[in-house]
Amino acid sequence: MSSYVRVKVAAEAYAMPVEHVLEAAGLGRVRAVPGARRELLGIRTLRGQILPVVDLARLLGVHRTSAPTRLLVAEARGFRVGFAIDEVNGIGDLGDLAELGETGELGMPAEGIESGLLAGATLSDGELVGVLNVPRVFDSLDGTRR
Amino acid sequence: MSEAAADLMGLFRDEARQRLDQMDTELLAIESGDADAESVGSLFRHAHTIKGGAGMLGFDDIRALAHAAEDVLAQVRETGVFPPDLAAPLLRATAALRAMVSGSPEPIGGLLSDLAASRAAFAGEGDPGENEPERASPPETASPQQTGSPPGPPVPSAPAAQSRAPGPQSPARDSTAGADRVLRVPAEKLDDLLDVTAEIMEYRSRLTHALGQERLLSQDVSDTLGAGGRLLGELRDMAFSMRLLPISAITGPLPRAVRDLARAAGKEVEFVISGADTELDRVILESLSEPLTHLLRNAIVHGIETPADRERASKPARGRVELRAVPRGSMVEIVISDDGRGVSTEAIEAAGREESLAGLLTKPGYSTAREVTDLAGRGVGLDAVKAYVNALGGNLSIWSQPGHGMDVVLLLPLGLALTQVLLFERGGEVYGVPLTAVEEVVMVAKTFTLQGQHALEVRGRSLPVTDVAAILGMAAPPLADASPAIVVSAGGRRAIATCDALLGAGEVVVKPLGPVLADLADYIGAAVLGDGRIALLVATATLTRRVPPATGATEPEPAPDMATAPKILVVEDSFSVRELQRSILETAGYPIVTARDGRDALATLDRDSQIALVVTDIEMPELDGIELTRAIRASAARSSLPVVIVTSHGSDDDRRRGIDAGADAYMTKDSFDQQTLLATVERLVGR
Repeated sequence: MSSYVRVKVAAEAYAMPVEHVLEAAGLGRVRAVPGARRELLGIRTLRGQILPVVDLARLLGVHRTSAPTRLLVAEARGFRVGFAIDEVNGIGDLGDLAELGETGELGMPAEGIESGLLAGATLSDGELVGVLNVPRVFDSLDGTRR
Repeated sequence: MSEAAADLMGLFRDEARQRLDQMDTELLAIESGDADAESVGSLFRHAHTIKGGAGMLGFDDIRALAHAAEDVLAQVRETGVFPPDLAAPLLRATAALRAMVSGSPEPIGGLLSDLAASRAAFAGEGDPGENEPERASPPETASPQQTGSPPGPPVPSAPAAQSRAPGPQSPARDSTAGADRVLRVPAEKLDDLLDVTAEIMEYRSRLTHALGQERLLSQDVSDTLGAGGRLLGELRDMAFSMRLLPISAITGPLPRAVRDLARAAGKEVEFVISGADTELDRVILESLSEPLTHLLRNAIVHGIETPADRERASKPARGRVELRAVPRGSMVEIVISDDGRGVSTEAIEAAGREESLAGLLTKPGYSTAREVTDLAGRGVGLDAVKAYVNALGGNLSIWSQPGHGMDVVLLLPLGLALTQVLLFERGGEVYGVPLTAVEEVVMVAKTFTLQGQHALEVRGRSLPVTDVAAILGMAAPPLADASPAIVVSAGGRRAIATCDALLGAGEVVVKPLGPVLADLADYIGAAVLGDGRIALLVATATLTRRVPPATGATEPEPAPDMATAPKILVVEDSFSVRELQRSILETAGYPIVTARDGRDALATLDRDSQIALVVTDIEMPELDGIELTRAIRASAARSSLPVVIVTSHGSDDDRRRGIDAGADAYMTKDSFDQQTLLATVERLVGR
């Protein structure tokens, strides 16, 4: 019954449970933060507050050849993060997720699986889609936990 | 009313409120059966002290009611038995006292007769030897001589009882004790002070900037500007810190509120406050009471189960609610935690597995919907709390395990930070540094290199020069040959940071960078500028950190000349009375040292041989004034030290006890007047 927002990150497809997604927008003006982790693209303002912008490709270890242009704003663990992506491909249901153990054989990016950032993967519309484990992703970004 | 009298009234009010809060805490502990052996003694002293202060200031109703409470407590202390049903009339009395202390008159006739009735009811059964089992049921409150021995005179509790470690919920024994001298200042004056300070700093920074560009700086001018600037920085820090208050400033009434809520809801609740000394900006603190009360209400009414339900769930019948404050750098974390039913598994499922509960429970219009309230049992009004937290630039998160309780976590900024910053540019981006840390700005044309470290001579001292890009680790094109630079001073270190351009000073609202950047200590926050750009505010310690610590400690201040007037030791456990006596005696020219009980006084006498006279209260914790007087008389070195007793015990008996112990003079607080005190002191020290 869960719906997912499907996005494109470089050449790969990922999905995030829709209840975490607040909005999608253009990337906007992102200001770099020297000294921050490399997956943090920088910060921007969103409705008067400071929003950290994370490059999802770098977080997941996806090779990228061009700069991201879109922003997916999500909330979990009590805070918000903007994810820099390339495209939003709509909202929809996904088929059954493959077991985590099988995803390696399906050729999923190893980094995401080892770090637990993916809840699983599935074949949908002829495409392999990685499903983000949103709480884990947010935990990995939470500086108070390091 | 004179200003001094108004100040004293204020001191009395503050102190009385604190003591009433502590009385409530003790009474609630007694009511729930986990009081410690000290409770009765400290309750008695609180009532007694409030009575004394009210008597001196002429608040007759407060004095009468405090006196009635004191009488009941005196009897309890003598018999060593505290019937639990005595807590209720005493709690009604503390509520009325609190109202009267705050200036709203209360009818006290009913309360006085209630207390008199309680006292009479229990005077007839006062002999501990005849106690029936149910009346002796709270043994924790009984004094050690309860069994067998006849009731003795009212003595402060036995040393054996004092060695018991206080539980986490016990308040500090005397929270006024740490504050030695306190002035009351209207909060608005502090805000004005901060505003004006910020404005002066801005002018100073403009002036420095203009002078620097005009190259008009003579050595004298720049030294003066530099010194003035540093002092201004200190002034601003002081003004800011004066706005910080401990959380305990607002938690005083909470134990009582929790007890009343729990009773009304038919729940049994143990309430624990920890980290009450954590500090927050006054403005935030003032607005925090309502959300906290709301969250506590949710925890008690919706979270904690009825005792019967809890027992069915194999939990202790009494639930536990905790309010915890933890400093987190520039933020403060406040947690309301309970061990109740938590959210339902359905709520967790409804939110999706491992969804942020805060997100689900705070959805506007969703949280108040019946089905979610039933599922979660906790959504009511949480959206308002979340809006409040967000408006302050904070975060709300909620953790729960079905059946095991819930944590609501408020992450709040330490202060509503309007800060003066100097803005500058490097690598095409804007940065800011707090103006408090900026000594001056200079143009760097030529630097010397020593051991690979660039240095520049500023006002005759060689300071290390570092490119901001190198300090922060950013990629940026090389600096121009002549670059503006900021001379920064922080924590005793000075350094020069070079950049591309200075944009000037301004006041900005500091926005927190949030959890994602919480592990990066280089920045204190960010500010959104008028043109929409974001300035990152660099911590001053970051800008100076490559510099070895400055050497050469400052010379200690020479000791002031020993005052020729005789030094007086004021011994008094009530903060407001102590300050009153101090101000009277100091105004008359006597150097004053203070102690807050007899034991403290003896230690002070051992340390300070200059003390020429002691002014002491009788009723005090640890060691009372009579015992103190005896100890002074018994000591070979001090047997002739004059002692003046000032107390609210006014009977002839009391006076005789004081004189018998060896006091040179005896004054009661009711008839207290400063001319009499000064005349007595003068007579005794011959001045």
